[in-house]
Amino acid sequence: MTATFTERLIGSLNAFFETVLHFLPGLLAAILILLLGLLVGWVLKTLVSRLLRVARFDRACDSNGITQVLDRADIRTPPSTLVGKGLFWLVFASFAMAGLSALHVGFVNQLIAEFFFYLPRVLSALLVLLVGFLLANFLSRAALLSAVNAGLPSPRLIALVVKLLILVLSFAMALEQLRIATSIVLAAFIIAFGAVMFGLALAFGLGGREVAKRALERQLDTRNDEAADGFSHL
Amino acid sequence: MIDLSFLPESLRRQLADVGQVDVLVGIPSYNNARTIGHVVRAVQGGLARHFPEQRALLVNSDGGSTDGTPDVVRQASIASFETILAAHPLRAVHRIVTPYHGIPGKGSALRTVFAAAAVTGAKACAVVDSDLRSITPEWIELLLEPVLVQGLDFIAPLYHRHKYDGTITNSIVYPLTRALYGARVRQPIGGDFGFSGRLAEHYLTHDVWSSDVARYGIDIWMTTTAITGGYKIGQSFLGAKIHDAKDPSVDLSAMLMQVTGAVLSLMGVHAARWREVRASHPVPVFGFEYAVGLEPVPVNLARMLERFRTGARELGEIWQHTLHPATAREIAAVAAASDEEFAFPPALWVRTMYDFAVAHQHGRLNREHLLRSLTPLYLGRTAAFVVQTRESGAEEVEQILEELCLQFEREKPYLLERWDETGGGR
Repeated sequence: MTATFTERLIGSLNAFFETVLHFLPGLLAAILILLLGLLVGWVLKTLVSRLLRVARFDRACDSNGITQVLDRADIRTPPSTLVGKGLFWLVFASFAMAGLSALHVGFVNQLIAEFFFYLPRVLSALLVLLVGFLLANFLSRAALLSAVNAGLPSPRLIALVVKLLILVLSFAMALEQLRIATSIVLAAFIIAFGAVMFGLALAFGLGGREVAKRALERQLDTRNDEAADGFSHL
Repeated sequence: MIDLSFLPESLRRQLADVGQVDVLVGIPSYNNARTIGHVVRAVQGGLARHFPEQRALLVNSDGGSTDGTPDVVRQASIASFETILAAHPLRAVHRIVTPYHGIPGKGSALRTVFAAAAVTGAKACAVVDSDLRSITPEWIELLLEPVLVQGLDFIAPLYHRHKYDGTITNSIVYPLTRALYGARVRQPIGGDFGFSGRLAEHYLTHDVWSSDVARYGIDIWMTTTAITGGYKIGQSFLGAKIHDAKDPSVDLSAMLMQVTGAVLSLMGVHAARWREVRASHPVPVFGFEYAVGLEPVPVNLARMLERFRTGARELGEIWQHTLHPATAREIAAVAAASDEEFAFPPALWVRTMYDFAVAHQHGRLNREHLLRSLTPLYLGRTAAFVVQTRESGAEEVEQILEELCLQFEREKPYLLERWDETGGGR
């Protein structure tokens, strides 16, 4: 019985040590990969941040309204540094996943596969959001300038509506990219978009009938005025 | 080396048939059937009366008119030369009607005219707009003679215009061009010019024909290139300029953006040159100046003020990327003033324009947005000008404009400082 117990104990210990010995190289490799990820991430972060600063990325963000949005969210970091940091974490996360795969643990491997499968979707969703944001700012500014120069009433409201519509659209597209409740997002978007448009039409046509009438009359008067105005600017 | 490969084969053949000429007149056109006949007859008369012994060519460079403009050009002729000439002209004026190639715009049309001048070896050339109603045969003499006889290279027009006519020219293009390059060319974007064959060839050596120059910036480009190229320039007094009513769909904002954008783009190209210019000098004037009776111009002052104030209220965020904080504060104060006390001081306008020039070069804002945001400010300055000159005669108005030009020259150190400060000049 004693022999059996000792044999079992030694057997278990052997198995444990074998497992540990089998696991250790993987762990070591994982730690090395993590350290490498830290190094590559840091180098890329520094390089990209500096390049963006040289390319006046911060000023471009400033003029495109990105800095102002970050300010409102109490993020005071310059956009170039922010992009660098984002890149660092992306690289580090990728290396971390690669490091975990070196451990050869079944469920971790599956998790990693899903992570790398999902990563392009996250990136494309971020890209959609960024493009949507830039486009919304650009077009809302264009709408504001056109409305001011054409003498339309409430130019800021017109610009805001343009901006919101594009932002909502890009947000819905980003969620669709992420495959987050696609059918609900799509349905919600169609309902919300339709409701907004219908509401605007009703508000303008019924509630603001007089305002609409005055605006149209003013536009026609303006055209007549312009025809009567003998200015030749060139 | 001049690249003439863009000329269509048919035009090459026609130019070869014509051979060498002494003088050439170009008329760019696009749907000007209503007015171009008169312009062609005036050119024909001018060439017959003032250059009877010269071999002459008239080139109509058309942008694909659909109203029969080319046919009008082909058929237009003076019924009887006896009404304008003592004798019948010695030489017939050759006439070529050709569509131009390239992107649509006056620049592409004039490129074809320059190329025709280069191929035919024309010594003196002129271009006149096709929508002119006030052109006379004397215009052709006044644009060509200083080039052909006096040896000048570039002749800009000089018109008598109503005090409220050409306000973009008066408040932006003329003072800015004068302060930058030092030449007092009163109508830098007049549209009717005389130039030598060698200058036409010089124009062709530039690669600007795919840019905005070809679309709508050709007039200021021709003037600026002539000045900065060190060519001998002059001005000819042509009298009144009356042209066909402009297309009402072309709005002020777009017009201002195109013209100002062209001036400011050239400013970036010639930065090294204008940095060295400290003062302006007069440009010789040809022709006999006389007073011209001008139609009164109705003005809607209230609307101009309203647009300016709307801009001041709504565009603060955009202007903050453009204007110096002190300038922005002064503009806010101007906008807050009552109609009775309204004034947009020349010094403020000059600094505003210089701030826009720096912002245009520096590229912090999208250029189209930047230039469109200038419209309310321009209307504010124009409204102030109207208020200031309501009772003024032509001479007094010219004196006020002279003062504005001097202000542009005096404030040039401010421009240089801001230009360098923001890295625009480096």
